Amino acid sequence: MSAPEDTGLEDTGPDDSVIRDDPMIAAEWALGLLEGGELLAARGKAATDPAFAGRKQWWDDWFVPLTDAIPGAEPGPQVWDGIAARIAVQQAAASPTFDDAPISNVVALQTQVRRWQWVAGLTSAAAAVALALFVFAPGRSPVDAPPQIASAAPMVATVPIGETGLRLDVTYIPESEQMLVAAIGLTPDGVHDHELWLVPADGTALQSLGVVAPGEVRSMVLPEAVTAKLGDRASLVLTREPIGGKPEGADAGPVVAKGVFSPV
Amino acid sequence: MAARPRSSNDEAREALRDAMARLAAGDQAALEEIYRATRVKLYGICLRILGDQKEAEDALQDVYINLWQRADRYDPTRASPIAWLAAFARNRAIDRLRTGKVRGGAVPIEEAAPLPDETPLADMLLVDAQQAAQIHKCLGALDARTQGHIRAAFFEGYTYAQLAEAADVPLGTMKSWIRRGLQRLRACLEASETA
Repeated sequence: MSAPEDTGLEDTGPDDSVIRDDPMIAAEWALGLLEGGELLAARGKAATDPAFAGRKQWWDDWFVPLTDAIPGAEPGPQVWDGIAARIAVQQAAASPTFDDAPISNVVALQTQVRRWQWVAGLTSAAAAVALALFVFAPGRSPVDAPPQIASAAPMVATVPIGETGLRLDVTYIPESEQMLVAAIGLTPDGVHDHELWLVPADGTALQSLGVVAPGEVRSMVLPEAVTAKLGDRASLVLTREPIGGKPEGADAGPVVAKGVFSPV
Repeated sequence: MAARPRSSNDEAREALRDAMARLAAGDQAALEEIYRATRVKLYGICLRILGDQKEAEDALQDVYINLWQRADRYDPTRASPIAWLAAFARNRAIDRLRTGKVRGGAVPIEEAAPLPDETPLADMLLVDAQQAAQIHKCLGALDARTQGHIRAAFFEGYTYAQLAEAADVPLGTMKSWIRRGLQRLRACLEASETA
């Protein structure tokens, strides 16, 4: 590209003549321009705002024929092997209790895995190991097997606050361990703070995700102890606490709102 | 659409639509069919955005695993399946680019934009929607500079900051240019919808 030409000065000022409304943000998102907190906020919004999601879809639909200009390319054969192996592992983890699973299913799975074993690589080896664990632990109930999601699938939870119409939008991006908590529309009452808690699906202890900042979109990087518990169906509760959050040693305050995570 | 002679691309699209419906109904074997029919196009998209073979292959895996997990998200009455999958793959690739680990922008912007018309692989399934002509027309109606930046964002996954740096203009200027371009693009596309 040549240097920017001087094609009319009225066209070059960084003014705000273009209103950055939701449809504009959806366009920027569809084009791929959003990053960081703005990207997370857009994703969270799309999960709960059909008009916004529809506008993003509208832009995607218009833009997608442009991809026909991109030359195709052949991925390596290990890509499909990886897909098949990951699916077999997830099916094993998600299948009903061993008694209910017809033995033929397991045999079929073993056959599939055997087929993949000649493919060198960690994914197929991991699939074989996971299958072995599954086969030799028939007592495991399905709740012990955490539902797995593709590593990059963002998780979204909406936490409606009573009958107020207000809500928290919580978005979690597994790959970056980043969580975004949007508390737009909430206002502080001056006497209370609200603290967000992760309720792991496996029934282990609640983990604090910190005090919610009313009226703000805040992103945080979660420690591994928390992300390990943050799978599909993990839920969130919001408790009312004194300013600053639950005091050390005190019981948590009353639960004022709840939400459940699900993959987008 | 119905009046057009059926091409092999039409048949491939029909077969794909059928496989998507079967996948949504729980037929796992359909995924392999979908993969065979679409991998070349979707991998091309991931590779273009991510500029790295390993990253692109990882992104491609994610696309199909996600498809398998949530096949019900595709609404067969709405978009053509290949259009839906192509948009999905590009979104996943962009997500991967934005969530950190990939450097992106492997191709210098001077070489990458504006994009020359490239001949797609002969056997690659195309989106080929009726709206293809319209988006090209509306993009073409923008001034060359704005068009180039919008194309660079779409095809290379550049951010506002990268575009501003490459064009050597302040960030606010670039944002303003592109937003104004998007606004005009939207007006042009909406006008075509009501026409």
